[in-house]
Amino acid sequence: MTRVRGWARANPDPFIGAGIALVYVVWLVATARSLGFSRDEGFYFGASTDYSRWFAMLFESPSKAVERGTIDAIWSNNHEHPSLMKSLFAISHMLFHDKWKLFADDSTAFRFPGMLMMGLALYVTYMFAARAYSRRAGVIAAIALGLMPRVFYHAHLACFDVPIMAMWITCIYVYWRADKEGGLGWALLAGVVYGLTLETKHNAWMLPAVFLPHALVVHGRSMSRYAAKSSRIPVPSSLVAMATVGPAVFVLLWPWLWNDTLPRIQEYVNFHVHHEYYNIEFLGQTYFGPPSPRSYMPVMIMATVPTITLVLFAIGAIDRARVLLGRFSLWAGEAIGRRLAWPKDAGDVPRDRQQTDLLVFLAIAVALGPFLLPRTPIFGGTKHWITAYPFLAILAGRGFDLVWLRVEALIARRATLDDTKRLVAQAAVLAVSFGGALATTIHSHPFGLSAYVPFAGGTAGGADLGLNRQFWGFTTESLAPWLAENSKPGETFYFMDTAWASWVRMQEEKRLPPLRGVGSPADAELSIVHHEQHMNEVDYNIWTEYRSSTPAYVLTHDGVPIITVYRRTPRSSTGGPIRRN
Amino acid sequence: MKKEVLAWVLAAVPLVGIVELGLHVKQTTSDVVPDEDWIAARDAVKAKLQPDDLVIFAPFWADPNGRRWFGDELAGIKREARPDETRFHLAYEVGIRGAHRPELEGWKKVEERSTGKITIGVYENPSFAKVWSDLVDLVAPDRLTVSRVDGAAETPCPWTRGPGQPGGLGVPQGPAVPGDKFVCGGGATVGVAVLHALDHHPHLCIFATPMGAGNAALRMRFSGVVFGASLHGHSGVQWVNERTPSPERINVAFSAFDRPIGQNVHRVGSGWTGFEFPTPELASKKGDLVAEVTGAGPHAYCFEADTRDVTP
Repeated sequence: MTRVRGWARANPDPFIGAGIALVYVVWLVATARSLGFSRDEGFYFGASTDYSRWFAMLFESPSKAVERGTIDAIWSNNHEHPSLMKSLFAISHMLFHDKWKLFADDSTAFRFPGMLMMGLALYVTYMFAARAYSRRAGVIAAIALGLMPRVFYHAHLACFDVPIMAMWITCIYVYWRADKEGGLGWALLAGVVYGLTLETKHNAWMLPAVFLPHALVVHGRSMSRYAAKSSRIPVPSSLVAMATVGPAVFVLLWPWLWNDTLPRIQEYVNFHVHHEYYNIEFLGQTYFGPPSPRSYMPVMIMATVPTITLVLFAIGAIDRARVLLGRFSLWAGEAIGRRLAWPKDAGDVPRDRQQTDLLVFLAIAVALGPFLLPRTPIFGGTKHWITAYPFLAILAGRGFDLVWLRVEALIARRATLDDTKRLVAQAAVLAVSFGGALATTIHSHPFGLSAYVPFAGGTAGGADLGLNRQFWGFTTESLAPWLAENSKPGETFYFMDTAWASWVRMQEEKRLPPLRGVGSPADAELSIVHHEQHMNEVDYNIWTEYRSSTPAYVLTHDGVPIITVYRRTPRSSTGGPIRRN
Repeated sequence: MKKEVLAWVLAAVPLVGIVELGLHVKQTTSDVVPDEDWIAARDAVKAKLQPDDLVIFAPFWADPNGRRWFGDELAGIKREARPDETRFHLAYEVGIRGAHRPELEGWKKVEERSTGKITIGVYENPSFAKVWSDLVDLVAPDRLTVSRVDGAAETPCPWTRGPGQPGGLGVPQGPAVPGDKFVCGGGATVGVAVLHALDHHPHLCIFATPMGAGNAALRMRFSGVVFGASLHGHSGVQWVNERTPSPERINVAFSAFDRPIGQNVHRVGSGWTGFEFPTPELASKKGDLVAEVTGAGPHAYCFEADTRDVTP
């Protein structure tokens, strides 16, 4: 016990990281019930329910479970996405809802693995920044990541965006540690984690663009020397494991790939390479195909990531870019046999065999780079480049380090700081820095996709700028208080962009009054429109059907319409053309 | 010196967080327009609004809020889904956040008042034109007959009343097919519905589609039309078709008293576009107006027209 305590005292980082992760996951669980179900969640709830039948069969009748007919019948559902997260959703539901009854809502049990993935992302972000820069940078990095309203929203969901964010940084972290520590164990772990990342979402296909250039810079010289001597190219063992163990894990964990493996992998790849373009509004224009606007990604980052985080990121990025340049200058100087004149302080730059800064920049560039290409779809809003955010947060942590050093120096001119005072002062600077981000994140719930940062004008500012208000139809649940007061049980309700499965789940969990969902305003007493520019069509069609443009209610966030509700009136059914006013 | 400045700048970075917090508090509390302000604005407008006046909300995204509180009487479909603003004498612009609608560019502000966080600007139309007959108002069996014309054959299209088809759960869903409409052979219908135009704004108009393949025409004979000095109108196609320009052309030809008035050609991709044909020789006359639509093919084509005094 004493030895354990001693180890813990000497190695507090895992505890700090886990502590931050735990607090955040508790926050997510506590706020899950007030967040409606997105379209995609509805599909994944269904797929996970199917998969849980298979897992049950695997224990009861393993030979039947692995028959092709059984596998195809169950695992064909939603086979456009890999199985890891949906399998975890299923297992979580089986254990935490059905067996141990930890969660009353089925949906929370389905969502729980996604929340844990957010915990993993925070943990690894902390660990990475703490090891690369400082413990303070680690804490700030985790806080900065957790206090992004969009990340907070996605972290609730039984979807794959936050999980791939977590796996992206975990995979890079393990690769980095494998390179630092060496040994077969770390290399194998890198292979397994890459396989899990492949099994999480297709963003994993881009990771070689992070690892290969990095490995070339770190090991290029020794590789060329070895190759010259032995005429063989030595590849770092972690990369070998990722290229071999990774795909094996990918296939092994996805039963749908156990038959017709190559054609099915081809089908999976084709689905994403030729994915259709959905509508998304940007600066007042709805885009529905290429070319995508190049300014989309930078503008959306500026409009949705708290400004303090971006400022700290800029400071940290400039600092690390200077260091990188210094190292490059030294390297180039050694190559040509004389020291370069610029940058002046290149000689002071500490050497880093792992080229951590380069790895961090590559992790950001590879995640963001595709969104500068005109053919990359942009319909996912910020979630499609969410993998860059942990690294953005890590550099923000480094930026905070530099800011704190200046603040500390200024304080030191007037007062002496002991350890306790220093800690209090740091906490105060942290609170001042991130108070706005915290308030914004809390306030964004449950309208995370409608929220824009204060420097962009908040939710109303986003509407003024013509930025997307929402997608996935999840805000329907936020109508519950109004519907409870203004509808009768059994009334027909047209729920528009909410997926049918999501609607059914909301009804089953009594998140909404007992209305009868219908598929058209023609059949509905109450009809809604989720406000997105391209969905104005639905709004106007309801006017035609109900012969009225007057809403019964408008659900708003900071005064901005999110959902408009219409009620059929006697006049709607009297017939005749629309003539009034 | 430079280093000293840099040190101060870096030390001041946490202030960004304070500003962020301050802005957030303002945006989520005092900037949000309370219901009472909307109600007060409605009462103020209601006291003065005339039938020829427009109520318009600024910015456009606040339109649902405005409609909710102003209701059909003040901000019903005819005003909301107007073809343009020329038919209105005055516009009451109910604005928040200092917004101003571009449609009122060039209008003269004659009055402004505030109700809490809402500003009501009253604007005078510099080119107001009095409307005599609006074809959209005449789409009913007592004032309109519709037929499908295939070469020499003309088949009447009966008026039907039934359930509308306003679309399902997916988007795009196309325009709503109104319950009350003329139904023609080949699946074509003629009825009044709200078009989602290329600019994402609503326009109440007469859908005369789809025509399918071939050279068929839809002939509409409006009776009891009071003519003015011009025939003024617009045409468009549902946004999801219009957003992909094509070489297709859709025609609507107008005639009265067995004489042609004019023909508008709509290019798919051009959006909600206007046309105007002078009719000075018909001014003050009353009679039938015939509109004939050809070339709509599969498109959800919609048009509207009115007779009016000439726009100054």
